[in-house]
Amino acid sequence: MLQFQNTKCECGHQNPTGTVLCESCGKPLVEDLPLDSPLEMRYDGVARRSQKANPDLLDRVWNFFSSVKIAVWLIVITLIGASVGTIFPQEDTFINLDDPAQYYKDTYGTWGYIYQSLGLARTYESWWFVGLLAMIGTSLVICSLDRVLPLYRALSKQQIRKHHAFLTRQQTVYIGQLEQEPAAWTSSFANQLRRKRYRVTAEDTALLAEKNRFSRWGPYINHIGLIIFLLAVLARGIPSWHLDEYVSMDEGQTKQIPNTNYFVKNDKFTVEFYKDEELPPELKGTNRAKLYRTEATLYECTANCNDTTGKDPVLKEVAQHDIEVNSPLSYHGLDLYQYNYEPQARLISVRPMLVDSRTGKSYGPFDLPMNDPPLTYEAGPYTLKLSNVFPDFGLDDQNRPMTKTRDPNNPAFVFIVTGPGLSEDGEMYIYFPLPSGDDKTIQNQINQSLQKAGSNSGRFTFEVGKMENVSFSQYTTFLNVRVDRAMPFIWVGAGISMIGLIMGFYWQHRRIWLRIEDGKLTLGAHTNKNTYGIRAELAAALNKTGVAVEPKALDNRRNTR
Amino acid sequence: MKKHRKPIQYLILAFAVLIGGYAIGRSFFTTQSVLKAGSEAPAFELADLSGQTHDLDSYKGKPLVLNFWGTFCPPCRDEMPALQKEYDKWKDQGLQLVGINLSEDRISVQQFAASVGARFPILLDRNKITEKRYGLKEYPTTFFISSDGHIQEIAIGGPMSEEDIDSHIKRLFETSPKS
Amino acid sequence: MNWLSISSNAFIFAFALYCASFIGYAIAVAGRRWSNRDVEAHTKRWSRIAFALAIIGWLGHLTFFLTRWKGGGHIPTSNMYEFMTFLGMAIMFAFIVVNLIYRNPLVGAFATPLVVIIIAYASVFPSEVQPLIPALNSYWLKIHVTTAASGEAFFAVGFAAALVQLLRVVDFSRKDKLGKREQFWVEAVLFVVIIIVGFLVSVFSFRAGGYSAEFQQEKFSIDQQGNEQSSIQKVTYGLPPIVAPYNSEKLSMTPYLGIDKPLFEAPHWMNGVNAGRKLNTVLWSVISGLILYGLIRLILRKPIAAVLHPYLDGIDPEDLDEISYRAIAIGFPVFTLGALIFAMIWAQIAWSRFWSWDPKEVWALITWLFYSAYLHLRLSRGWLGTRSAWLAVIGFIVVLFTLIGVNLVIAGLHSYAGV
Repeated sequence: MLQFQNTKCECGHQNPTGTVLCESCGKPLVEDLPLDSPLEMRYDGVARRSQKANPDLLDRVWNFFSSVKIAVWLIVITLIGASVGTIFPQEDTFINLDDPAQYYKDTYGTWGYIYQSLGLARTYESWWFVGLLAMIGTSLVICSLDRVLPLYRALSKQQIRKHHAFLTRQQTVYIGQLEQEPAAWTSSFANQLRRKRYRVTAEDTALLAEKNRFSRWGPYINHIGLIIFLLAVLARGIPSWHLDEYVSMDEGQTKQIPNTNYFVKNDKFTVEFYKDEELPPELKGTNRAKLYRTEATLYECTANCNDTTGKDPVLKEVAQHDIEVNSPLSYHGLDLYQYNYEPQARLISVRPMLVDSRTGKSYGPFDLPMNDPPLTYEAGPYTLKLSNVFPDFGLDDQNRPMTKTRDPNNPAFVFIVTGPGLSEDGEMYIYFPLPSGDDKTIQNQINQSLQKAGSNSGRFTFEVGKMENVSFSQYTTFLNVRVDRAMPFIWVGAGISMIGLIMGFYWQHRRIWLRIEDGKLTLGAHTNKNTYGIRAELAAALNKTGVAVEPKALDNRRNTR
Repeated sequence: MKKHRKPIQYLILAFAVLIGGYAIGRSFFTTQSVLKAGSEAPAFELADLSGQTHDLDSYKGKPLVLNFWGTFCPPCRDEMPALQKEYDKWKDQGLQLVGINLSEDRISVQQFAASVGARFPILLDRNKITEKRYGLKEYPTTFFISSDGHIQEIAIGGPMSEEDIDSHIKRLFETSPKS
Repeated sequence: MNWLSISSNAFIFAFALYCASFIGYAIAVAGRRWSNRDVEAHTKRWSRIAFALAIIGWLGHLTFFLTRWKGGGHIPTSNMYEFMTFLGMAIMFAFIVVNLIYRNPLVGAFATPLVVIIIAYASVFPSEVQPLIPALNSYWLKIHVTTAASGEAFFAVGFAAALVQLLRVVDFSRKDKLGKREQFWVEAVLFVVIIIVGFLVSVFSFRAGGYSAEFQQEKFSIDQQGNEQSSIQKVTYGLPPIVAPYNSEKLSMTPYLGIDKPLFEAPHWMNGVNAGRKLNTVLWSVISGLILYGLIRLILRKPIAAVLHPYLDGIDPEDLDEISYRAIAIGFPVFTLGALIFAMIWAQIAWSRFWSWDPKEVWALITWLFYSAYLHLRLSRGWLGTRSAWLAVIGFIVVLFTLIGVNLVIAGLHSYAGV
């Protein structure tokens, strides 16, 4: 606990409660310190803003966040909490996770189940983790404020002549009899220090030399940067500032980006693999992707965007880009990243011919797209009416045709053909555009059974002929769509933080005080980092002005031998 | 400066509480709200097989059974006849029973509905929009919605038997205020 | 002669010189206790020789790096072998910087073996130049990896200095509980180092003997659509299998010590890349480390720390404290920039999110938080000396876990760099 001592110094200065070293002459005020130990120079011994005699509730809360001890505890608890979150993968690493509890139980066993039910599978979104970050943020503000203002005041009105006890209890000290004339020596010593870029102020036979004071502000600038960073992270929660969606598309497909009025089309997807000779022996023969790319077009929807009643959305092309892993499509803050791809052969469209097996004549070809096929087609004199579609053909348990999924994995089309020489009702045929052998067998079987039932005469078949009449999508591409309007603030915060760190760590605030009485030189020097450096600098300056001393000998720290 | 210290401290702490509270509060609501019994049924506007559009409001005032189904889902297919029978049984007492197809081609839906003799109104979802709004995870899912537009029960999975459907509908009528 | 063969020769050259430098430093430090010479002159002379060797070795290492870059077509930091050798090079660089400031032979005596161990560890991994997967093909990656490794290198030097400091101040005459505890933990740190050496010894001796065993493992994974998929993989062991991969079948195995089948199967939750093999490697390291440690204790007949302690007499522990702190203070901004800020920039470009709580990222953050706590404790709460030295040691353990442990134990976005 703080002790509330008499804070009036013998030099006549009235110090605030909590002051360790007199703000004016530097005489130690707290007398219970071991007499010979180096002085406590943090924040120049000034009182923190929050230290006062009768704390009320506000002061207590304020003091809590103002304490570095609490700040360190917060950091330590946060780091432990963060490490707990890495034991099992977090829930958000799985894109489709319908029942997390079951998944964790199945995949990671009982411990996984406990982990998930404690909410640790969402550690970084949990209230306690966010709460810790919020407390660290508060602590950053209050700690800095409480220290930087008094420190600023202390450093901007420094007294040159310091108390003897202040000088002799610095970490770096020199005491000796001066052989030269004090005034002349002081000015030549001052010149030496100026050459090392110290700002020197002298007052009779007392001197203060100081450099790199700005480095004292480094930590606070760093903290400002961190606060901006944390606020920016929080700002990502503003709904219109943040979007994170996935879109999967086959070639030629257009899809709406969920929760937006944008649509994206996969014009073409390409993947290149490393050639065998580019691969080391153990990887030869494997498909190692070298590059993959989605040629994408972005549309903005101007009307009927979320219409479910059958009206088509009105789209306006706004951007086009070849999306690669390190090269997203960017449009007005919307970024589309190449996330992944999957080999998934799917038909886009075919151009089959209607073949009359009796005459050998073929009619067409006609365009048959797999998505949203039109209802009627013309092939020569014949009209084909689409009567049923099975995107993923299969049979149900009663052997009736059905579609197994909604994805066009194995499409089948049922047509009613009408035209010259056919009955009014037409003839019914099923057509499997996928050129696999199995499908062709099933196609024939079904058409034969339709023939038996009298639905057709077995006269027509469908043929695609050349491969150029088939357009395929070999891969499904996965795009990740992001909006992150807080990013600029994130980078600004990180940048400021970095500047603060560099200021604070790569420069050191150095100060040298001296006073000469009756030819006796008493010199003390202080730096917050790198005492080695200041000793070397000081020894060099002393040696050049005729005071022979080894850098090591200036070391005033007690434990040294 | 000294004079203003207190107010400034209050101001900073108030900001910290506000922003921190917002951050923590948000962490409670990151999981998407799931539809439960008692929630209000999400709105929709969909076309039926003949192209006419219907919205949820037009069904208000009478109990409504909303069945999400698809031709690719065997239990959905299997419970169609039961649904039709229950519809025939209750419709004179004011029951509305609507099937919402899971974004399939109109032609397939028409063919299938005709083949199983489903004559209750069928609406067509598009691009899974309504399905997502209702937070479907399994097919079929049937919502029993009271006349004031609140979900009373949700039957997930299937096929439901006639008796199952019947008891759901009975409860729906018992609690729904008569209009 | 092509670039890659120049490169591998340069590597061997560098490695040899690092070993020589270590010996030089050892002589410089140990020679203090030899009776027949002037201590000051001896130390100065041998430190100079060792430092010169270290610098020449580092130049060789740099040659390795640059020629491999030229020969491989991309900066050699993309797999574990390349990254660890780069880390070794960075530590050597950090050591050179710190030594130019402080000229303390003791730090060299501990930093050089650290580099030797890390480079030897690197050589465990396949050293072929591998083609990049698209996500790694970005110049931000190069900047991120090199900067992060440089920051970590300074932490490593801080660790070396802190370890020397601990060895210097630990009091072996104390018999009270606290003194005993201190002795135990200093010894424990050395023991961990021995385990790593044990790992290297077992890997290289079985490799020299041409040992191999093969397993076939069936793995299940969930694809983007949420469907379960299974794949069959071949897993090759370079160490005799004590543990087989989970859900695997033995294909071939050279018997060892009369044992011709694995003793256990890895638990199913260890489902990272090659988890079974990694677990096996850890077991072997611990076993051979224990044997090695036992042998050393048998020869020395007292704790290793107690043997080293007398050689460090007459060194100012305050200086070591300062060196350790200074190295960390230099490394902290570099680490922040490389491991967090550049990582975020790269992640934003490549993975579309600057931060995704990927285990590797989280551990980089943990490292950063840890060193921030260290700095705050030191600067604002006056934790100097032993306490601060312990923090520097623990900090480097956290660094090592981030670099190696995460890949070994947890698989994430960075798992391409697996063992």
